Amino acid sequence: MGQSNTIRILDGNTFVVSEETGDIEATPTEPTGLFSLDMRFLSRWVLTVNGERLNALSYDDLQYYEARFFLVPGMATHYVDAKLSIIRERAVGGSFREKLTILNHDEKAVDLEIRMDAGADFADLFQVKDEILNKKGELYAEAESDRLRLGYRRGNFVRETVISSSRPARYDRNGFAYSVHLEPNEQWDAEIDVQTFALGPGGRDLRLGVTAHGNERLALQHDLQEWIAKAPKVNSEHDRVAATYRRSLVDLAALRFAPLSLGGQTLPAAGLPWFMTMFGRDSILTCLQVLPFAPELSKTTLRILASLQGSRFDDFRDEDPGRILHEMRYGETAAFEEQPHSPYYGSVDATPLFVVLLDEYERWSGDVALVKELERECRAALRWIDDYADLAGNGYVWYERRNTETGLENQCWKDSWDSISYADGSLPPFPRATCEVQGYAYDAKLRAARMAREFWGDPAFADRLEQEAAALKERFNRDWWVADGEFYALALDPDGRQCDVLSSNIGHLLWSGIVDHDRAEKIARHMVGPRLFTGWGVRTLAEGEVRYNPIGYHNGTIWPFDNSFIAWGLRRYGFAEEAATIASGILDAATYFDGRLPEAFGGYPREQTKFPVEYPTACSPQAWSTGAPLLLLRTMLGLEPHEGHLAVEPVLPVGMGRIEVLDIPGRWGRVDAFARGRLDLHQLAD
Amino acid sequence: MVDATTRFFESLNRRDHEPLLDKAAGTVRFDLHEGAQTTHWLLRVDRGRLTVSQEDREADTVIGTTPALFEEMAAGRENGLAAVLRGDMTVTGDARLVVQIERIFPGSPDAQGPRRLHHREVR
Repeated sequence: MGQSNTIRILDGNTFVVSEETGDIEATPTEPTGLFSLDMRFLSRWVLTVNGERLNALSYDDLQYYEARFFLVPGMATHYVDAKLSIIRERAVGGSFREKLTILNHDEKAVDLEIRMDAGADFADLFQVKDEILNKKGELYAEAESDRLRLGYRRGNFVRETVISSSRPARYDRNGFAYSVHLEPNEQWDAEIDVQTFALGPGGRDLRLGVTAHGNERLALQHDLQEWIAKAPKVNSEHDRVAATYRRSLVDLAALRFAPLSLGGQTLPAAGLPWFMTMFGRDSILTCLQVLPFAPELSKTTLRILASLQGSRFDDFRDEDPGRILHEMRYGETAAFEEQPHSPYYGSVDATPLFVVLLDEYERWSGDVALVKELERECRAALRWIDDYADLAGNGYVWYERRNTETGLENQCWKDSWDSISYADGSLPPFPRATCEVQGYAYDAKLRAARMAREFWGDPAFADRLEQEAAALKERFNRDWWVADGEFYALALDPDGRQCDVLSSNIGHLLWSGIVDHDRAEKIARHMVGPRLFTGWGVRTLAEGEVRYNPIGYHNGTIWPFDNSFIAWGLRRYGFAEEAATIASGILDAATYFDGRLPEAFGGYPREQTKFPVEYPTACSPQAWSTGAPLLLLRTMLGLEPHEGHLAVEPVLPVGMGRIEVLDIPGRWGRVDAFARGRLDLHQLAD
Repeated sequence: MVDATTRFFESLNRRDHEPLLDKAAGTVRFDLHEGAQTTHWLLRVDRGRLTVSQEDREADTVIGTTPALFEEMAAGRENGLAAVLRGDMTVTGDARLVVQIERIFPGSPDAQGPRRLHHREVR
């Protein structure tokens, strides 16, 4: 939902979305602002000089946490005559700081009235697309001699924006102003500091002592340099692969998020700007994607999700014992329980994926201590799968929300209301069970069996899990196979009827290993066949289905993250060429977005549009899109931990040229992987 | 009749071992303020072993709220993390302990839990 012409900078979950001039004038359609803790702390931030609005000559988003705008007074038609330049440099990191610089290019002295309109509506992130009319609390503005205080109070819930300046300014309730006299070629500057407060009754800030790194610009810069230095280096014959990798690495750094109360540990948040918080599913899948490049994210993600694992039944939050959370929010609607995100547990896949990530992380890192540390949580997650998710009592993982007001209807990754349908387009009743989640549960049981046998000293539990997994695989291959189309159904309804549409979800089944070997080739053929594959990637829903729409959010668009797991799955079953086909399509698409893959793009055939059509309201950068190129690299290079060392078995298309990945961390220390494109993809199409 | 707050702390004291707090260590003091009066509960957690007293001693984490809100939490009718976000409960010191301890509060007495299909058929 971010507009493409907005400029965004962020640090953790404090971020600024503005127009190209740096101004903020929030409306429901242009939800710009300064946000922190899921609330908007500035909804108006408009700079004028002598009453005139400014026009943008250019802007740079230098780093994810800083941007610079070059402006002149007046509108585009006459800016060439401008005798003044205005530079706005801003950064977030704890607080929001903006430095104004004004240069007089005239041969005469000038007197300027510089004014910043400032206002805050304290909208909850869940309300920014609505007209903010009936706030339940009280908004206030207090102009003091050296600061402007904008606030919102509802009971003990207080949020404040405090604006101050390095130079004396005149503050009023709607902003502040400076009167400036500039001689020819003289320059003036002022530093403005905007602090956000989330105050409790004692005046203490909720976030006290919680930061991922130092807040100052230099600390942020140092942190980013260290992050990049620590990650493997990727060199490629064609610069685009290496460029996409570098972009992903920096975006991944930006998306790190330190939840309150967890001591500054970071995990990947879901996406900028609207999803800068922890999501069970998104955080876990991103960690899986980036394991060869940034393994430490997995450790913190697993620990944080474990520390918030469900412990009781709560129908409002859809919480059960053992369940891994879906989403955590800190804003007003979460605080006052108008939304259930404190945290909300309505995700059907985060729990099995938690177990999958722990095992995969150990296979790379050799961190047995963490596997032992999280044994109890893993067992609780496995119990949730068997005891609380099997709503139909037939050995599958189902979902049905208990919070019917604000809970999620579809609790799988395709969480829009119409994502799960029968072939005739109608929607099934609840509970629903989607295919990919059965695969995750199967994989979780097998991986837990390995951990139980090797690290928990419980071979009997391991045997039981393996038997259960084998039975699930047999059952699944019987009940979900759509004989006519030769694929697995998207979902089952409570009567066991199949949602018999061809969807991308079945690609995840390869990754999980639940596909019978004699059926794998049929699934692989669908993945690169004309109904699902566009030339760029695999559509969420196949062309020809009733609900298919090339720009349908979960009914026809291409999701890079989805494709990365499909490619990984294809590789697992030995379909290296099909995997490379998908990897190559998605990496080609990335070059059209300067290496930054959006959440989703249109499912139009590649030859029709020639370029990938961005989904209109896609959120970017988004963590699992950022992680996709990294998983695709892993897949094409065939990187796989094997008996304590790293196996490398590259299958690259010819067009990729040479790729080298240096210093891949793991239980083996650091090793390099080299690959050369030898695969002629055209052979596949014939 | 004993209130839910007392019952809650007594049940913690009786609990030999709380697996949800296996990884937690430290002391938490609950200060329940009502006017000029403050009731203290001190919970000592040592890797799953719990000890409760009513001492007013220094602690790693101090949680401040009203007896009324705490009573609702002890009865499973209020959620601690939402109360912290609202500012109805304050936290000083190590906030990690709050997240860990919040999980041992009971769920709502009215919660139905997962709705299994066969239950529905019975009805």
